[in-house]
Amino acid sequence: MMIFNKFKLKLVTIVTLAIFLSACQFEISPWATDVNCPASVSVASNLAKLEAFEAQQGPITDYKVALLSDPQMYPGAFEDVIKRINTMDDVSFILLSGDLSESGLKAEIEWTCKAMTKSTKPIFAVIGNHDALGFGQEMWLSVFGPYDFSFTYQDSKFVAYNDNKYEFDNVPDRDWLQAEGAVNAGEVRQNTIAVSHIAPWPHDLELSQNFKDYGFDLTVHGHEHDFNFWQLSDVMLPHYITSFTKFDEYGILTVSGTDLSLENCKGSVCTPADPRTITN
Amino acid sequence: MAPFAYSSEKGVYLDVQSGSLMGLVHASAGYEYTDRHHVMGGLGYVPKLDEHREMGLASIRYRYQNPMQWSFAALDRDWTIKPFNLGIGLLYADHDELFVSLPEQYPDGYYGPTGLRAIFNYQAIVQFDASFEAYLDISVIDFGLAYYIREPDFFYENYDFLGLDGITNWGVGMRYWF
Repeated sequence: MMIFNKFKLKLVTIVTLAIFLSACQFEISPWATDVNCPASVSVASNLAKLEAFEAQQGPITDYKVALLSDPQMYPGAFEDVIKRINTMDDVSFILLSGDLSESGLKAEIEWTCKAMTKSTKPIFAVIGNHDALGFGQEMWLSVFGPYDFSFTYQDSKFVAYNDNKYEFDNVPDRDWLQAEGAVNAGEVRQNTIAVSHIAPWPHDLELSQNFKDYGFDLTVHGHEHDFNFWQLSDVMLPHYITSFTKFDEYGILTVSGTDLSLENCKGSVCTPADPRTITN
Repeated sequence: MAPFAYSSEKGVYLDVQSGSLMGLVHASAGYEYTDRHHVMGGLGYVPKLDEHREMGLASIRYRYQNPMQWSFAALDRDWTIKPFNLGIGLLYADHDELFVSLPEQYPDGYYGPTGLRAIFNYQAIVQFDASFEAYLDISVIDFGLAYYIREPDFFYENYDFLGLDGITNWGVGMRYWF
């Protein structure tokens, strides 16, 4: 019996190792850059998906946008939030405001991509400060696409930009933001909404004023791992910060024509959010 | 059949490994400082590849070698398998884009080191004479283990083999005992 048990232990060990070996990867360091993410998470792919959805939907004035951020370190919680958003028929797409990874490492980005692929709605990611660490900037460009991009949905323009000033020089690109905010002749524009990882910091009067001057109606962000919503008294442009997804938290932007309203959500419970006015 | 004893009375050996996050090649000096307990210090190299920047690596590692051994004869020689060995190490990468000390542009405590990671590993060792042994190494990076423990369901649902496929890496190596 003892011999048989020893044989079984050896057999189980060898078979387990063989199966394991066939599954796991030969990786020569944690700092590889060949991220294995599907094309479906790229900005380009999601733009096409949103365009097709809009064409199918036809013109509408009321819709919602889910605002998620900072899924780093908790890909499971992030996936759970995505699955929750999937059940919301009135949400048209998701804005993901950065920090998809903690250290800009390949494995982390891959785990976040896995969660993103579960979204049935278009999902647009902007780069966060943590994503830019190590070789993360290079991987971001190859997986998601450009740091700055914009798109129009139902006559509202969404402008995603990079503002990670410790990791990049000359950001945000204000010339580009100004151009994106401008309404072209003949264009119908209900709203212009900016999205980035970090809100104008710290309570940056100049940048907030710039956005106002450029014609923006709202900016949305992440980074703070908590809800926040403020506007400067001299500018009165609202800046909304959504919480991180670790505790099933997310924001909902409701667009009704030119009316924009925000909600802070935890699980299935959402409460209206109003900006507090900060005196300069 | 008696398992091999190591030829080295000093407990000193040279270890050369490939993969399992330790570089394309990683050479270490090892020392068995007491029965079953090993420490190693090594240097590794990653060449410039399409998917990799060129960088040097350095490591210090500890390994616990379980005394369980299975011996058998095959191909006209004796073999000993040591199936249960666990280790932990620190891996440092030398590259301009990575840091251990926070660069001056950042506020204090803004980031942890990006060029230093802890690696947990398992080894299955095959000894085929008194001086040489080869091994299979399976490793998990620090955050991989942490995330797996925190959110096992995510890995179970998205990866094979109880989700371990999503966090593990393999490599091979050899040791020569002096």
